Amino acid sequence: MASVSANFVCSRTSIRLPNQMITSKSLRLATVGWGRTPGFPRLTSSRFQISCAAKQETVDKVCEIVRKQLALPADKEITPQTTFTDLGADSLDTVEIVMGLEEEFDITVQEDNQDNISCIQEAADLIEQLVANKS
Amino acid sequence: MAMKVNVLNFESRKCPAFALPSAVGSCRYPKFFVASTLPSRSKPAREARVQVTHSMPPHKIEILKSIEGWAHDNILVHLKPVEKCWQPQDFLPDPASDGFHDQVKELRERAKEIPDDYFVVLVGNMVTEEALPTYLTMLNTIDGMRDETGTDATPWAIWARAWTAEENRHGDLLNKYLYLSGRVDMKQVEKTVQYLVGSGMDPAMENNPYLGSIYTSFQERATFMVHGNMARQAMEHGSIKLAQICGTIAADEKRHETAYTKIAGKLFEVDPDTTMLAFANMMKKKISMPAHLMYDGRDDNLFHHFWAVDQRLGIYTAGDYADILEHMVARWKVENITGLSAEGQEAQDYVCNLSPRIRRLGERAREMAKQAPKVPFSWIYDREVQL
Repeated sequence: MASVSANFVCSRTSIRLPNQMITSKSLRLATVGWGRTPGFPRLTSSRFQISCAAKQETVDKVCEIVRKQLALPADKEITPQTTFTDLGADSLDTVEIVMGLEEEFDITVQEDNQDNISCIQEAADLIEQLVANKS
Repeated sequence: MAMKVNVLNFESRKCPAFALPSAVGSCRYPKFFVASTLPSRSKPAREARVQVTHSMPPHKIEILKSIEGWAHDNILVHLKPVEKCWQPQDFLPDPASDGFHDQVKELRERAKEIPDDYFVVLVGNMVTEEALPTYLTMLNTIDGMRDETGTDATPWAIWARAWTAEENRHGDLLNKYLYLSGRVDMKQVEKTVQYLVGSGMDPAMENNPYLGSIYTSFQERATFMVHGNMARQAMEHGSIKLAQICGTIAADEKRHETAYTKIAGKLFEVDPDTTMLAFANMMKKKISMPAHLMYDGRDDNLFHHFWAVDQRLGIYTAGDYADILEHMVARWKVENITGLSAEGQEAQDYVCNLSPRIRRLGERAREMAKQAPKVPFSWIYDREVQL
């Protein structure tokens, strides 16, 4: 079983990526992209700014929802910094996690914010901000 | 067993790759089709995608060879002899006849009654059909199936050439209709075609016939639904001729769908585990639309905008995507397949449980949809259409 991963950091406006051959048996790096990728997928480097960290209770709830969505074994360790992709979430899982959070906390996550949630802590922080904005 | 690969399309640590209504244009439905982008001459590269190639283990070529006899007897029958085929001229004003100008006038009168948003989708469909060179290229990237000489006698090569020949009429017919209709800026449309053919497409088939058979089955059914819906709506707008055009194209696509689906079905029969993994693999990567690299020289988000109108008009929606998936699961009796590896069973669970998740996504996107803006389309002289 082989797996391929690539981590690129790209801002929405920065452009240049080298076109290079990755010298691995059957991989090729293709430079892509002139237009804004219609929704899926996009890269953003602008980190979501949070004013204060979320309560432990919120973080725990987020962990619970993530565990359920990804059907993680009980002994799988999750920290607030664990990213969804670390846990094996694909793009569909991530959206469903957000939907689960919306239901649980009775909030609506706008797409701009959704793009910036990639780990437990970020999700919890956003939730608290949205809940605070509601009241 | 096919190499299982996770192709991370743009997935960086910061980015959940799945997007619901985008900030641009507030599309109602989830844009959850893969849409990587390739540079046009005038636009620099922005993002990169690692592509996997030749993911089928070489020894599996024998399996493809072993079913060539079957393919010859069971797939080529779905081609229509040229002498029995319709040609674009059958649906267009006859230039050799004295009544030509009246026929054109009639066509233009009918076209005036069809709204701009329908024409936007019709242009998008025409552009997709006109990018046919790319599709034959893609078929010829497939290991075990490619036409090595241009006149190979394998059933795969015979099918690919004849399929291309049949499809070629679709773009020709839509092109001529649009030209005569007077409703669109043909130069912009033609430019879009040139850009698209130059860009290619990226369905992530990895030169792999198992992946390719899944993709083509899904895509032909999708295109059948699209043209069918266009025919129905043309009728509603009072244009019988256009309805016939779209309906005839849809009928071809149905026949093609039957053939590709049969190939995938045969692969499920002779190599269920690999094909099951391939099915899950393609669905995870999402079935991308062939024209996802569409560009007209002006709108960086052209495909997204076209797609939004397409969905609003109900030509092809998230629900349709889920319907096609369910249809394929039933058609290939995926739920009943036994003797799978552990990975194969995981793949089976994934595809069998995927469609309700997609529907839920579609529903959420609909609920969340903000008031969608109107955007101009260069194809209709920058007139605006509601997304």
